[in-house]
Amino acid sequence: MKFAGTRRRVPIAMGVAVVATVVALVSTTTSREGVALSVAFDLAVACGLILSLPSFKLSHPVVSRAALTLLGLDVAIFITFFLNSSTNFNLATGAAMSIVLLGLSFLTGASGQISLGNGAFMGVGAFAMAIWANHHTTTPIVATLLIAVVCGALVGLLLGLPATRLRGPYLAGMTLAFAVAFTFILSTFSSWTGGDSGLQLPTAAIAPRWLDGFFHAGTPPLTTTTLYLTDVAIIVAGVAFFFMANLFASRTGRSMRLIRDNDVAAELVGVSLPRTRVVAFIVSSAYAALGGALLTLIDNSVSPPTYSFALSVTILSLIVIGGIGTISGALIGGVIYAFSTNVISWITTQTGLNPQGNLASQLNGIIFGGLLILTMLFAPFGITGAARSLWHRLRARSPG
Amino acid sequence: MDPFLTSRIVTDVLGGLTNGVTYGLVALSLVLIWRSTGILNFAQGAMPMFATYVGFALLSYHFGYWPCVVACVIAALLIGGLTERLLVRRLYGKPEINPIVVMVGFLIVLEAVAAAIWSSTPRSLPSPFSSIHWQLAGKPFALSPFIVYEFATALVVMAAVAVLFRFTNLGLQLRASALAPEVSRLLGVRVGRLLTLGWMLSTVVGVITTILVSANFFSGLTPTVMDGIFAYGFIAAAIGGLESPVGAIVAGVLLGVVNQFVTDYVNQNAVIIIALAILIVSLMIRPSGVFTKSALRRV
Repeated sequence: MKFAGTRRRVPIAMGVAVVATVVALVSTTTSREGVALSVAFDLAVACGLILSLPSFKLSHPVVSRAALTLLGLDVAIFITFFLNSSTNFNLATGAAMSIVLLGLSFLTGASGQISLGNGAFMGVGAFAMAIWANHHTTTPIVATLLIAVVCGALVGLLLGLPATRLRGPYLAGMTLAFAVAFTFILSTFSSWTGGDSGLQLPTAAIAPRWLDGFFHAGTPPLTTTTLYLTDVAIIVAGVAFFFMANLFASRTGRSMRLIRDNDVAAELVGVSLPRTRVVAFIVSSAYAALGGALLTLIDNSVSPPTYSFALSVTILSLIVIGGIGTISGALIGGVIYAFSTNVISWITTQTGLNPQGNLASQLNGIIFGGLLILTMLFAPFGITGAARSLWHRLRARSPG
Repeated sequence: MDPFLTSRIVTDVLGGLTNGVTYGLVALSLVLIWRSTGILNFAQGAMPMFATYVGFALLSYHFGYWPCVVACVIAALLIGGLTERLLVRRLYGKPEINPIVVMVGFLIVLEAVAAAIWSSTPRSLPSPFSSIHWQLAGKPFALSPFIVYEFATALVVMAAVAVLFRFTNLGLQLRASALAPEVSRLLGVRVGRLLTLGWMLSTVVGVITTILVSANFFSGLTPTVMDGIFAYGFIAAAIGGLESPVGAIVAGVLLGVVNQFVTDYVNQNAVIIIALAILIVSLMIRPSGVFTKSALRRV
């Protein structure tokens, strides 16, 4: 045994927690910061302890997923305190996008359907959020987010009903038509959607006062509001990932994978094909709407050109590169989205391209499109799939 | 002259037919590929667009319209054939989302590369015929020499495809290799070559459409010129049923007429929304298209 036995783990973890608490309290200047830091450390230790217990994962899968989510959130939020505003902003956008990717990953990976319209569903959520916030300024943010999700789910139901009877390419084409039509739908209802200029949120999201106490407002590169928005986005994404992980493992999730692999067999064992398909489609569009609503919250505004067909294509590329049908693929895709603009402008400067030139402006499309084709041809399950097969190969080679 | 010919309804019908034939041609080219390889080619607008740019590059060497058209067709044959050989061939027998994703990726790459090489500013193509509408008794009539040329070309292309598939040995082999590839292979049909040929043919139908579209519309030739027309072409093909060439053309032409009436009587923005609504309703009533015979899917 490489690791300590189960019995010795609890005292070891408690020891680590005590040391971490002492270090946290000693190293910080104010007591508030010390308490916050030690809570963060101890939470991480507790989650790590739960995750390290063998057989716990099998006996209490929901608790161990919750622990994993908490650990991830804890670490991510801790890190955001040390990054500058623009990196935090990128992370927030990436978190919102990863929710959308998770929805598409679920739809395609679990039920074998594909949607080219998730950018438009994102737009439904984004505009629902902005419109509601403009008409009812007093609604709390969480309620507005939920309203946006409900709107996304309703539109998903509307389009999902014909989708239940459609097979692969027809559904892809129909959702493509929706994605193309979406910007025209927005301008048809311009009195609601603000026409070409879009909508602003009436009140900018402001960080609660207590956050100021933990944070040196004097450090210029990061503002409390950015930090707050980033952490809100990360927490919402964490909750979304937690729900999805449970859904993947649930009866619904299993029947969806059965439909993907063999729809006739699924019907024979009593899975209702249309109902399961429409549920998958609704979940995917609700997730897309949640991501879009978060993006509105982060940007504090929403504009129609963002939600063009190109966005749907970007979403598809990201999830394919990350690993379609997997949960970690959505996370990888979100991270790629967060930093893709920076990486591409880095490539532009490194290769000495004229940044205003034709090639530089098309680099995004060339790289993403090319990666999309290469991934699908050589590693159909993206980075996640490639990492998994590498892991299995290494495990098979090592003795024992 | 008869005022009926310049009335609003006739004008709309003729205008609708003008757009409708291009939707019908795109739908036809989608059906050609779908029937032979079971792939919905999302790059069906982008591949001909690229071929058109390549062919009309000859304009800078002082060639006229017709040599450029010939060059476009040659470029389309090459692009269609190479795409099938290098890209699509690896996708046969894979899950049905794989080809969809790859062709979407190909669409993005082609549009981005075209914009990188030729920039996304519209370029106007020369036209062999005037596109100024004729006048009847001092009123504009919705036809011009160019539109007549467009109709004639579309009819010739459709007739040529029909003759090829119905009356030639090659067409018989194409149909056979689409219907029963294994049996055809045993009977000595070079199925692989015929699939390549199918993609080449379909790209040629596409390039002729693109040349007509980019000379006809005010927009000129841009890397994204076929995006909207592809969407309508797909809607037409889906309504008509991806199995039926006749259904695709009829649905395309009708969709063009409906769109024109919506533009005239409602507004421009409503066109794609109405088209989407028609698609959803028709798919709910007949999921595999209006013109296809319902077939049981074998397991």
